Amino acid sequence: MSRSGRFAAWWPGGAAEDEEGTEPDARFTFANERTFLAWSRTALALVVAGLGIVQLLPPFPGVPVGRHLLGVPLIVLGAVLAIVAYAELMRNQRALRRGEPLPRSIMPWILAATIAGMAVISAIVLLISALR
Amino acid sequence: MTPVTPAGGPARGDEPEETDSGLARERTALSWTRTAISFAALAGVMLKVNVITGAIILAVAPLVWQLGRLSRGGLPSTGLPVVGARRLLLITVCIVGVSLLCLLVALLGRADPGALLQPAPRRP
Repeated sequence: MSRSGRFAAWWPGGAAEDEEGTEPDARFTFANERTFLAWSRTALALVVAGLGIVQLLPPFPGVPVGRHLLGVPLIVLGAVLAIVAYAELMRNQRALRRGEPLPRSIMPWILAATIAGMAVISAIVLLISALR
Repeated sequence: MTPVTPAGGPARGDEPEETDSGLARERTALSWTRTAISFAALAGVMLKVNVITGAIILAVAPLVWQLGRLSRGGLPSTGLPVVGARRLLLITVCIVGVSLLCLLVALLGRADPGALLQPAPRRP
């Protein structure tokens, strides 16, 4: 698929619209929608966590940028997660419509990798803060 | 052997859940409500930090709830209803917008360090 075609595939009713496939079972469509909404709530939770860390936590002694180091990536990840969730929703729905196997989701991997990375950064910031 | 649909899932049986998508619709409606509550919760945190931004996000919450109640049409390319696909895109746009607002407030706004640790002010 070309780059413009890929972009259009994201846009409901866009140029990628085709008549392929059949209407899937309504329950599958609902389940797909609920999965998207669940990821959206996860994205919002990440944004709340990031904002809370930056604005409400007391500063880490000896690490002046510590709060931003922990909070800003969480907010950015929230935005990324929301966008990827929408892309996956459309991909899954297209696969359902065509009777193809559902594509593998990269979202759990993104979330797990980010949480692990944040845990490491948190540990480093806390250690530096405790040693000062 | 269990019959399967073209999508690979089990075919409808005699169970109420399998013959009527009403429960799935109900669960989806509840999911929309939870999403709206999540927006309100984020607005609550933001109100503590920046009142104007918090009020903007708080105004989004009932809109999200209302989006979940909108009627549906048909979109052949994805199988998602037109209104459904567009409102889901709208949710994505809302979250990205809210994230950008939060990022701006986090980077440029006045922090209230230790606000969570401060005791509530005593009333006279």
